[in-house]
Amino acid sequence: MFLIFKRLWQVNWAEQWQYRANLLMYLLYWLVSPIIYLAVWTSIAGVKGEVNGFTANDFVTYYMVLLICDQITSNIIIHTFAYKIQDGSLSGELVKPIHPMLTNALVNNIAFKMLTIMGLIPIWIILFFLFKPDFSGVTLSGVLLSIPAMVLGFVIGYLLSAAITSLAFWTTRVYSIHEFYFAIILLFSGQFVPLPLMPKVIQDIAQFLPFQLFMYYPIQLILGRLSAEQIIQGYIMAGVWLVISILFFNWVWREGVKRFSAVGA
Amino acid sequence: MSPTIHVQQLSKTYKVPEREGGFSAAVRGFFKRKYKEVKAVQRVDFKIEQGEIVGFLGPNGAGKTTTLKMLSGLLHPSNGNASVLGFTPWELKPDYLRSMTLVMGQRNRLSWDIPAADSFLLHQAIYRIPDDEYKQTYKELDELLELEPLMKKPVRNLSLGERMKCEIAAGLLHRPKVLFLDEPTIGLDITGQARIREFLREYNKRTGATILLTSHYMADVTALCERIIIIHHGQLKYDGGISDLSKKIAPFKLIGVMLAESNSHDLSKYGELVQNEEDWEKQYIQVKAEDVTRVTSRLLADLPIHDITIADPPIEDVIEQAFNS
Repeated sequence: MFLIFKRLWQVNWAEQWQYRANLLMYLLYWLVSPIIYLAVWTSIAGVKGEVNGFTANDFVTYYMVLLICDQITSNIIIHTFAYKIQDGSLSGELVKPIHPMLTNALVNNIAFKMLTIMGLIPIWIILFFLFKPDFSGVTLSGVLLSIPAMVLGFVIGYLLSAAITSLAFWTTRVYSIHEFYFAIILLFSGQFVPLPLMPKVIQDIAQFLPFQLFMYYPIQLILGRLSAEQIIQGYIMAGVWLVISILFFNWVWREGVKRFSAVGA
Repeated sequence: MSPTIHVQQLSKTYKVPEREGGFSAAVRGFFKRKYKEVKAVQRVDFKIEQGEIVGFLGPNGAGKTTTLKMLSGLLHPSNGNASVLGFTPWELKPDYLRSMTLVMGQRNRLSWDIPAADSFLLHQAIYRIPDDEYKQTYKELDELLELEPLMKKPVRNLSLGERMKCEIAAGLLHRPKVLFLDEPTIGLDITGQARIREFLREYNKRTGATILLTSHYMADVTALCERIIIIHHGQLKYDGGISDLSKKIAPFKLIGVMLAESNSHDLSKYGELVQNEEDWEKQYIQVKAEDVTRVTSRLLADLPIHDITIADPPIEDVIEQAFNS
C-alpha cells in the first residue's frame, strides 16, 4: 500500500507541476475572498474602534491564520472528479483494484495543496508585514494541538465533498449542489464572519456542525483562545463527524457506482 | 470445472431522458421528465471456457460494449447474472480486478500529462507486481510492441497508434487471466494490427488466458478467434464456430467503380447498389463472391472505367444483412 501511495504521489506531483501557472491563478483567485473579508472587517472595526469586542487587529490576526487553515483543510475534488463521472472517463479508474476517490484523487488533492501552499508562503509573508497581525497569544502547544485538528478537518471535509461529488452519479447538475454546500461552509465555518459575531442561533447550530472544524476551531486553537473544555468538545465533535462522514461517503459512493453508466469511452 | 465466463439471462436497460425541442417542452420537461427505456442487452446467455479466444461481433449499438462493461464490472445489469473467474464482476472485488483487464478506447489507463513510463510504474504498484516479474513482462511487451521509444514522452504527445500500443501494454502488465478488449487494434496501421494480433495469440498460448474481443476488422477476428458470438439489437444471434458462420452468411464482395465520365450509368443491373458514406467518388455494388469475376469483366467491357476495387463488405453490414430478419 505504501508503494502505491508513493508512486501515486510521484505521478500526481509531476502532473501538478505541469499546471503550475494554472495553480498560481487559482491561488490568487482563492486569496481574493478572505482578503476582502479581512479588509472590510478591519475598516469597519477601525471606524468603530471594535465590533462586538473584535478590534481591527483581531480581525487581521484572525484572517491571517484563516488563510493557512483554509488552505490546509479545503479540497478541490469537485473540480477534479465530478467530470469523470459525467463523461465516463472514470471507467479506466474503476477497473483498477484501488478506490479512485480514496487513493488517486486524494493524493492528487494533496499534491495540489502542497504546491499552492508553496505559492502562499511568500504572499503570506508580504501580508504579514503589511497588516502586522498580533500573534502574542500563539503558543507551541496551541499550534501542536491545531495540527491534528486541521488533519481531521481536511479528512472530514474531503469525505463530505467526495460524497457531494458522487451525487454526479445521479445528476449532471452536481456543481450547483456543490455551490450551495460551499455557501453553507462560508456561513458556518467562520470564513465570512468569525463565529462569535454571528447571531446566537447560528453560533449554537455551528457548534454541532462539522464546518467550524475547517476554519474557526483550528484558528482559535492556534491563537490560544479556547478553554480546555472547548478544546475537548471540539475534538469530540471532530470524532463524531469523522464517523458520520465515513459512513455517509461510503453509502453515497456504493449506491452511486451502481448507477454509473460508463458513457463514452 | 466451471466455465471462466458464465453469463445467464444478462440484461441491461438504460433509462434515457427524452424531450421534444422548443421552449414549452423544456418547461414541461423541468417538472415532469419523460424517460424512454432502451434495451441495450436482452437476456443474453453464453459460457466461455478457460483459454478460449472469442470474437464478439455486432453492428454499432448492438450491445457489445454494454456487455463488456458489465463483465468487467463497470455496469450493474438490470437483470440476470454473470460470473467471471467465480467472481460477480460488478461487486468490483480487488481480487477480481487484479485478475482481469479491460482495454477500451485510447484514454483509459495512462495519465495524459506524464510519460507512459511513470504510469507503468504506478500500475506495477497498484497491481502488486513483483520487480522481476514486471521486468520480464515489460521485456516481452517491448519486444512485441516496440514500446521503448515511446516510454519517455508525455502520453499527450503520442500518436493515436502509439497511445493504443501503450494502453494495451499497460492493461497487460499484471498478466490478467481474463482479457476484455474493445477494439484493440483501432487506430493502428496494418503492421501494428498484425503485431497486436500476434501478441494476443502468443499471450493466450503462453498463459492460457481467456480473451473476449470486439473488433471492426474482420481480419482480427478471423486471425484470432475460432468462436464467434454475435449480438444484434441486444439479443444473442449466433454462438459458434467461425467456419460455420461463413457458411451461414452468403459470401458477398463489394465492387467499387469510378467512371471516367459522369456517373450517369445505371449500375443496378450489375448488382445491388449500396451506399458508402466514406467514399463519394465511387459507386458501390454488392455481388455474390462467385459472381465477382463475371460481373467485373462485364463492367470493364461495358463502361468507361477509371478505377475499380473489389473488397469484403464491412463486418457490420454482413451481420446486419444476415441477422436483421
